[in-house]
Amino acid sequence: MSIYQIILATVAFLFLSNGILKFIKRERSQTFFKLFLTLTIWGSILFFSLFPKTAQEFSSAIGLGENLNTLIFIGFVIIFIIVFKLLNIIEKLEQNISEIVRKEALEKIDKKL
Amino acid sequence: MHTPSIFIVIPAYNEGTIIQSVIAEIRSAGYTNIVIVDDGSTDGTYEKAKEIPGIVALRHLINRGKGASVKTGIEGARKLGADIVVTMDGDGQHNPSDIAPMITSIDQGYDVVLGSRLKDCTGMPKYKIIHNHIGNILVWMLYGLWVTDSQSGFRAYSKNAITKIDTKTDRYEYDSEVIREIHRHQLKFIEIPIEVRYTEYSMGKVQKMNLTNGIKTLIKMILSS
Repeated sequence: MSIYQIILATVAFLFLSNGILKFIKRERSQTFFKLFLTLTIWGSILFFSLFPKTAQEFSSAIGLGENLNTLIFIGFVIIFIIVFKLLNIIEKLEQNISEIVRKEALEKIDKKL
Repeated sequence: MHTPSIFIVIPAYNEGTIIQSVIAEIRSAGYTNIVIVDDGSTDGTYEKAKEIPGIVALRHLINRGKGASVKTGIEGARKLGADIVVTMDGDGQHNPSDIAPMITSIDQGYDVVLGSRLKDCTGMPKYKIIHNHIGNILVWMLYGLWVTDSQSGFRAYSKNAITKIDTKTDRYEYDSEVIREIHRHQLKFIEIPIEVRYTEYSMGKVQKMNLTNGIKTLIKMILSS
């Protein structure tokens, strides 16, 4: 087993266990849909890092036999994850702005009471 | 016997031409506690609402979206001691005569009453019916609760519901998020048919849901799920 396989498998395992634990603890942010996505994406990464030959057979079968194509594919996955994280950060910032605007708007009532 | 304190919450964005008549219609239906939340309008909506005596007019300094405005309004009503909160749109499309059956349902022990346009969709444009069905399916897939009109803004909440419901989203996805909260807290809810008046004014507003807004709403629903 190569060093890359070990790193990838460890990262995938950490994400998987974190997602499952969050779901078991019934954390608000973790829904069945998110758990499903986590299991699909990180589960596939864990599987293919442990059994890379399966990935080669699979990529040959669907016409992604060359290494360069695989690299491009991985690049897309990384970009997708970054965009997803950025959207989450923007959403959080938007919520904070709304909370400040709300507090300011409600000050009028607070002063009356 | 304690008479419940009923508050009507109206989010308004650039509804200056119609807001006073909307308030007058609600008042003539017998409801005096009205909270208007101006969502950073540029057409004097806030000033027009404030002109009417007895109105609680709140203002967002900048536009934050319908969901954020409704949440501000509900929070304001809660601070003022509301037992029941009814939310309705500020463009006059909702009929205040539908408030009474909603209040009756809350009195019967329901936590949330959802006004449904699809229980009787006479006069509703076909594209809106399709759009609503797609919305209902997505809400069911993401939040696990089936309702006939997940996008309706005409709703009533009991004191228990306004204490428990905690939303984070700001725009049109708010209405769907409330459905998630009903499911999460196992709140007792009922859907009742409501009349919607599709006037030239309400159909002509540029802020209404279109395909682009629909896709944005879907992405935000997934992010918040």
